[in-house]
Amino acid sequence: MTMLRESQIMKIHYITGIAALFVVAVHILMRLIIPFSLSLEYENVIANYHNIPYVLLLESILVLIAIHGFNGLRIILLELRQSKAWEDSVTILTIVAMMAVIAYGTRTIIVANGSGF
Amino acid sequence: MEVADRNNREGMKAWLNPGRYGWERVSYWLQRLTGVGLLAYFVGHIYETSSLTQGPDAWAAMLELTQTPMGHLILLLIIGMSAYHSANGIRLIFTHGGKGLGKPGRPDYPYDAVSLNYRQKSGIWIALILAATAMLYGASVLFGGE
Repeated sequence: MTMLRESQIMKIHYITGIAALFVVAVHILMRLIIPFSLSLEYENVIANYHNIPYVLLLESILVLIAIHGFNGLRIILLELRQSKAWEDSVTILTIVAMMAVIAYGTRTIIVANGSGF
Repeated sequence: MEVADRNNREGMKAWLNPGRYGWERVSYWLQRLTGVGLLAYFVGHIYETSSLTQGPDAWAAMLELTQTPMGHLILLLIIGMSAYHSANGIRLIFTHGGKGLGKPGRPDYPYDAVSLNYRQKSGIWIALILAATAMLYGASVLFGGE
């Protein structure tokens, strides 16, 4: 089961890793621009979710790390064992898990933003 | 593949054995262990933040679980793992692109691997030092009592 060559998947892995580094840095800096103890207060956190550029940043973190993380897990599992059935199962499972995590995180972003239903 | 073909496999023991290949092997399994740890934290963090959607009380209850000395220690570990995984990951991108590796030559005794040159070794040490520095800064923020 190969829709992409492994070399292409590795390029995606590197690009998502480096991009995640930048967006996570901004995410952490957002907590440090106000006193740390206040940064987790409900009103302040919800205010972040009402800020559209920050929402886009959160969604990009969600997608980038989910792709990078679950592909990393796939690579580790493929290094441990090799067979066609194992490789196909691992690929399908990690894609499904990645999509489930992205869907669940996106739901939180939409509902906390106030545009949920 | 036949089952008999797998008899020589060492499996996880070979994967975790740092003795055979030196620092590059240590770096290899640290990259994987930190990756799995960060993925687990990422999934946990998404679950943690989903409590926001249930209102202030659910959020406060979640903070009571996570904003504890133990929670802060786990966060410190996450900070260290992120710094190491990022710095060592950048080193690996260069390595996979062939940058920073020595030129192959005749394998004269004592057979020093050209891939294990000072650039590669210092990259591993820089990753470890950055992780320790990030953890120290994180500790000053988390336990600083601001």
